[in-house]
Amino acid sequence: MEKLFGVPIDRLMLSLLVVFAVGVAVMAVVAWRNQVVFKMAVRNIPRRRAQTILIVLGLMLATLLFSASFATGDTLTHSMRVEAVKHFGLVDVIVQGETRDVGNRLPSFDQTYAGRVQEALAGDSQVAGVAPLLQERAPVLAPGTRLSEPWVDILGYAPQSMAGFDRLLDVTGKEMALDALAPGKAYLSAELTEELDVHRGDTVQVFLGPQPTPLEVIGVYVKGASPAGERSLVVSLPYLQTVTGAQGAVNAVIISNRGGTLEGVRHTNAVVSALGPLLEGSGLKAEPVKQKALDRADREGGTFATVFLLFAQFSIAAGILLIFLIFVMLAAERKRELGIARAVGMQRGHVVRMFAFEGATYSLIAAGVGSLLGVVVGWGMVRIMAAAFSQWDFHLTFAFNWRSVVIAYTLGMVLTFAVVLSSSWRVSRLNIVRAIRDIPEPSTSRKSLKGVIFLGLLVAGGALLTVWGVQEEQLGLYLLGASLIIIGLPMLARRFGLRDRIAYTVAGVGLVAWWMAPESWHDAAFPFLPEEMKAGIEMFFLSGIMLVIGGVWTVIYNADLLLNALVFVFGRLRGLPPVLRTAVAYPMQYRFRTGMTLAMVSLVMFTLIVMAFIIQSISGVFADVDRIAGGFDIRANTSYTNPVPDLRVALTGAGGLRPDDYTAIGGITAVPVKVKQMGIEGEPVDLMVSGVDTGYTDAVGYKFAMMAPGYTSPRQVWQALQDEPGTAIVPTWMVPTKTNFNVGDAGPALRLEGFWREDKVLPEELYLEVQDPRTGRTKRLRVIGAVEDMAFYVGSITTSQSTVHGLLERAVPPQSYMLRLTDGVDAETAAKALKAAFLENGLQAQVIATEVRRDTSASLMINNLLMGFMGLGLVVGIAALGVIAARSVVERRQQIGVLRALGFQKGMVQFSFLLESSFVALLGIGIGVGLGFGISPQVINSFKESFEAITYQVPWGVVLFISGVAYAASLLTTFLPARQAASVYPAEALRFTE
Amino acid sequence: MFKRGAVKTPAVLERTHEQEQLSGQLIIQAAGIHKTYETGKVTVQALRGVDLRIRRGEMVAIMGPSGCGKTTLLNVLSGLDDITQGEVIIEGAPLHKMSDKARTRFRAEKMGFVFQAFNLLPVLSAVENVELPLLVAAVNPGVARRRAQEALALVGLADQTAKRPAEMSGGQQQRVTIARALVNIPAIVWADEPTGNLDSETSASVMDLLGRLNNEQGQTFVIVTHDPAVAQRADRIVRMRDGLIESDAPNHVAK
Ligand SMILES: Nc1ncnc2c1ncn2[C@@H]1O[C@H](COP(=O)(O)OP(=O)(O)OP(=O)(O)O)[C@@H](O)[C@H]1O
Ligand SMILES: [Mg+2]
Repeated sequence: MEKLFGVPIDRLMLSLLVVFAVGVAVMAVVAWRNQVVFKMAVRNIPRRRAQTILIVLGLMLATLLFSASFATGDTLTHSMRVEAVKHFGLVDVIVQGETRDVGNRLPSFDQTYAGRVQEALAGDSQVAGVAPLLQERAPVLAPGTRLSEPWVDILGYAPQSMAGFDRLLDVTGKEMALDALAPGKAYLSAELTEELDVHRGDTVQVFLGPQPTPLEVIGVYVKGASPAGERSLVVSLPYLQTVTGAQGAVNAVIISNRGGTLEGVRHTNAVVSALGPLLEGSGLKAEPVKQKALDRADREGGTFATVFLLFAQFSIAAGILLIFLIFVMLAAERKRELGIARAVGMQRGHVVRMFAFEGATYSLIAAGVGSLLGVVVGWGMVRIMAAAFSQWDFHLTFAFNWRSVVIAYTLGMVLTFAVVLSSSWRVSRLNIVRAIRDIPEPSTSRKSLKGVIFLGLLVAGGALLTVWGVQEEQLGLYLLGASLIIIGLPMLARRFGLRDRIAYTVAGVGLVAWWMAPESWHDAAFPFLPEEMKAGIEMFFLSGIMLVIGGVWTVIYNADLLLNALVFVFGRLRGLPPVLRTAVAYPMQYRFRTGMTLAMVSLVMFTLIVMAFIIQSISGVFADVDRIAGGFDIRANTSYTNPVPDLRVALTGAGGLRPDDYTAIGGITAVPVKVKQMGIEGEPVDLMVSGVDTGYTDAVGYKFAMMAPGYTSPRQVWQALQDEPGTAIVPTWMVPTKTNFNVGDAGPALRLEGFWREDKVLPEELYLEVQDPRTGRTKRLRVIGAVEDMAFYVGSITTSQSTVHGLLERAVPPQSYMLRLTDGVDAETAAKALKAAFLENGLQAQVIATEVRRDTSASLMINNLLMGFMGLGLVVGIAALGVIAARSVVERRQQIGVLRALGFQKGMVQFSFLLESSFVALLGIGIGVGLGFGISPQVINSFKESFEAITYQVPWGVVLFISGVAYAASLLTTFLPARQAASVYPAEALRFTE
Repeated sequence: MFKRGAVKTPAVLERTHEQEQLSGQLIIQAAGIHKTYETGKVTVQALRGVDLRIRRGEMVAIMGPSGCGKTTLLNVLSGLDDITQGEVIIEGAPLHKMSDKARTRFRAEKMGFVFQAFNLLPVLSAVENVELPLLVAAVNPGVARRRAQEALALVGLADQTAKRPAEMSGGQQQRVTIARALVNIPAIVWADEPTGNLDSETSASVMDLLGRLNNEQGQTFVIVTHDPAVAQRADRIVRMRDGLIESDAPNHVAK
């Protein structure tokens, strides 16, 4: 990754390091000036080794999540970079046509340009080589084996110009002479020879046109052909020119910068600008290909890391709560000690410093452990992703960048330390007498003026935020502002004597209701609200936090009612009442601990449940393959060098095929154009426009998300596409929506303006201006439909074939086809037969159902991985339960002794401890699941707004599984402390004073 | 209300019947008790051959200098701790041969405890603390609550039942402990410095209470104390020194 949150990673690292260094320096100075306090603090660390380990493990979780997210980003960046480097080798810049031809083919130009480029760069010490290149992509067939490969990069090298570029190396590492490439001879890449099962001396056929060109394989290289994919072959430039009938023409001038594959990139800008004057107005451009590929790798890696962080944010929030909890518990443990220290004259500031020192030491260690362990977790996740990505032919190799580890470390450290500082401050405010006598601190003094003023400001601020949100049409601000009022008012009333239970219940239920209320309710209750408010990805986090706060408050202030019910129900079971009594009394008394743990568990559970709902509902979409495919069964692509002009006609003549098997054949011609929306300022965007024939429009079954006024049925729109020249339809991603859940930048794309998807009907006047970049001719297209989201196979602007021909002023054969089979014909067999019949055309046939299923399983894998990653947050909640249980054993030793004296059996003590954490765990799980179920219909609905095919489905299996795992894990972590509690020896425990 | 037979639970009725039979007999028989603490390098001989017999209904005070082994003796007699050598027989049952489980059940059924540090559960209210032994003995929760309230009334805390220990004074807490020790009508009540944390006035009223209960219900009391005023209320005073019984004499001043 080179960028994170849009900030260059170097700068991010540097600024974090500065913050970190300043923090450490300040601590060091303070430590030096308070050596006694410092020693007291540090002494605590080795004193209780097991506890120290537990604390470090607790503190490291947030850092671990950072680090693991970064590692996935780094891996993606690295893998894409490797791919880029493999493809381009030493080639840094390519001089090529500014536009592309039909089939995305590079337009050719005069070879003399190579000489001129060379001249322009002569004496430029940054350039290592300049060479003319003719490259094509064509099907290759081995007549001997009848094996074929539809997409092979054919490179025409000028042997005498290739100095300064990669050398072709054979399997022994020996350089292969380019001079040996006589006409009709070729070197093949090792991958290609394997694919075709050919060897030196065999002959292959290349279909650069309708007639095959025979080539003799005179050598096999393992690397060195660039720019090209894995399957490539090299011939001499003059020969390729002859065969393609392009005497004296090339379609690229490749430039290699001085320096290695990666170092050379540095000179890219200089080289590109040096060529500026030469290429001005020539229709050519110097494309910084490698730079662009590397940039893309970096950007995608950053986006990836951001997505993982996005999903980890709840777990990170839970991790922060855990840090806070751990320190408050630590303080509780030292309470008496601290109280005595304060009594003998230790200043409040000293206490803060003491905790800060101790906390800083833990944080330093924990961030270190977390950032390294995160890399390990990242590695594990990459292994799963690699399996998913291999379905898409992309190889993922694990990598991590030490700078990301540094960022994770410093970020984790700074965050941890900030929490530690705030908890130290809280600790220092303890009352000396209460601390020594170990009396719980009373809840905040009720009527302090400060408190009342603060709450007053909170309510006023909330009101302002609400108004602002309504004005700006920002849903998040509006909901958040009102939430502050919902919290603030009952808290104010509490200051004036309202009972805690009522105040918190009102606030809690209010929050939950407020955030769960469907939009229609808000619209009905507040008619002044703008019709559609904007909502972004931040809503995800905001609503999660608010719902959980509300849920936890409500539950914790009413749990005693629940308990009475429990006791009433189970009170009759022999042996249970005394155990139940103690098990429940403790968590109810220690509201802070219990609340924090509930919040952690329920926060993570909530997000997992919502995620499960989303995955389930989306996966339902993919089940309807027929709708995704628009009623077609097979999709086929042909080579641009040797297309099939009319598949229907060709089918009749081809051997092994029965035209009757195909009930519909739709042809698609895709051409590159420049597009802009008419009447809107802005640069035109490079896009493809597809021209479909009547075979397509007559058969296609896609519906529309939006249609222009006057059109009443999908059929009518498709028919109009053929009948009314100059009409077009667009995919839904071009239509703006008010809810925008996109992460990262998706690159240049055309977004229409002036209307919203939520409008349901397209504006009467919606025109696109498309331009053929070759000729500069423009054409106006009227948009009459936005195709439904399920139309996966409508990727770009679509119009009729004749409209495309009109734009190009010539007929261009389709390069791809959509076919529908007669009922009962096996799709896989048909696809194979098609491939075999049109080998020379490089026809690739894909069964759509298979393709959808493969993509679904791969994305399911990624989704599950994301869920698993979020699930790491459960570790946080469970760790909290474990920490509390372990602490309780120490804290309550004497009380355990009393219970044993009163006749509690060992098993009862153990059961009581397990019951206690079960109670908290189950409540937490319950809140999370409850809130998840409550909000999911709305979440799914909001997805439905931008993806209408989504249906609400309850993922029962996943819910049960996650809840079961969470509960089992919580039992496991408390099992050991419970055992310890049971083995407390009464006679000793009764003597025990802390 | 604490009178025998006032309770309708069969298990309790059975026990009172048994007590009747054994009345006037020895309830505690300890012979040749040795207790050695092994703590790393040093071995402490806390008890070095103690013989003690206590009759049903007796109120015995154990006195002696700090560290002489009083608490240790109480712990081993009540089965809270193991003995190294010797035998302890309570109501005819050999405590030293019992499993931890059996001893625990024995404690639940036959013993009550009052400790110096009041040893209430801070998270439970007074009445909840008191009813805990009844719940352990599987008394119906409704009945348990009523009896706990009665016990608290008996110790003069009828109006404090809902308070938590932290909200009560030391004397009040100790009275809750006594109510808890007596609520299930145990045969023996062990008290380790029950007045150690109390001023003389409160201490006197607590002892009045113990004496009254002993009189009314005929339970056996074994009280460890440093306070001569407390010891004076016992039927018998046992003096210890260095892990041995130094003297054991009836207290003629008593009552
Ligand atoms: N767990 C233990 N490990 C080692 N030695 C112990 C242990 N418990 C008690 N002792 C020792 O056993 C001896 C008797 O202790 P015990 O508590 O019975 O005395 P005590 O008479 O109750 O004193 P006090 O009046 O101060 O309460 C003391 O020397 C004490 O140090
Ligand atoms: Mg003692």
